[in-house]
Amino acid sequence: MSYYLLLSALLFAIGLYGVLARRTAILIFMSIELMLNAANLAFVAFARASGNLDGQVMALVVIALAAAEVAVGLGIIVAVFRARSSTSVDDLAELRG
Amino acid sequence: MSAFDLIAGVLLVASALAAVTLKNAVHAGLALVGNFLVLATVYFALEAQFLGWIQIIVYAGAVMVLFLFVIMLLFDARADVSTGRMPWMKWVAGGFAAVFFLTLAYAFSALGPVHPLAEIKLAGGLPGPLGQLLYGPWLYVVLLIAVLLFAATVAAVVLVQPGVRGARKKPQVLEREREQGEVGR
Repeated sequence: MSYYLLLSALLFAIGLYGVLARRTAILIFMSIELMLNAANLAFVAFARASGNLDGQVMALVVIALAAAEVAVGLGIIVAVFRARSSTSVDDLAELRG
Repeated sequence: MSAFDLIAGVLLVASALAAVTLKNAVHAGLALVGNFLVLATVYFALEAQFLGWIQIIVYAGAVMVLFLFVIMLLFDARADVSTGRMPWMKWVAGGFAAVFFLTLAYAFSALGPVHPLAEIKLAGGLPGPLGQLLYGPWLYVVLLIAVLLFAATVAAVVLVQPGVRGARKKPQVLEREREQGEVGR
């Protein structure tokens, strides 16, 4: 089990790198999906280790949540692109103080 | 640890690295599809069959198709449209991710052994046992997810409608502007 937990931590760290290093909103979004999947892998590994199905149900919940998040997030990205013709997060800095 | 675990781990890490480093956005998306498919096979190996199929249908199918649609709609597949404002950011991100991984690994290694229940009740993670949980103790969560998905659908439709993006003016404001226009004439 600890092998898959370490794998999950590694995937999460790679997703974190993507969120910080990418400069385009949609690619940051893809990295977030990677992190959600890493968390799911940890849930499934724990479910397997403890012999309890609740972990798998939680992973299902996360997948449904990710689907909703993708629908709204991509809608926001399309709307931002229409208004600014760019989704680079460096250009969208109007809210900074 | 079997050979399958090793191969799946190497494939998972390689495709994840490709997804966060490739310059071409479509290539990065396809690497992510590969990552999701390998993850589905890992789910099968971990006795989560239903979850594995859901992973293929929802993630590798629906979600990634949406992503690729938006990439091809909005960009000509360039990943990093504006680079160079913070060229040191990659190194900061790499260091941050490494520290985060080491912290997580330490936390996992400090974890005591998980004691399995008296009887393992995974049943291969088939839809039947999962459904009994979903429509039993998790029922309220399922209802909340239904509300969430409904709200997200409405939000997605509203967000991409061209007419409602700007703030709508109230009727009183419109009337006042019309009056001022008449006075000005």
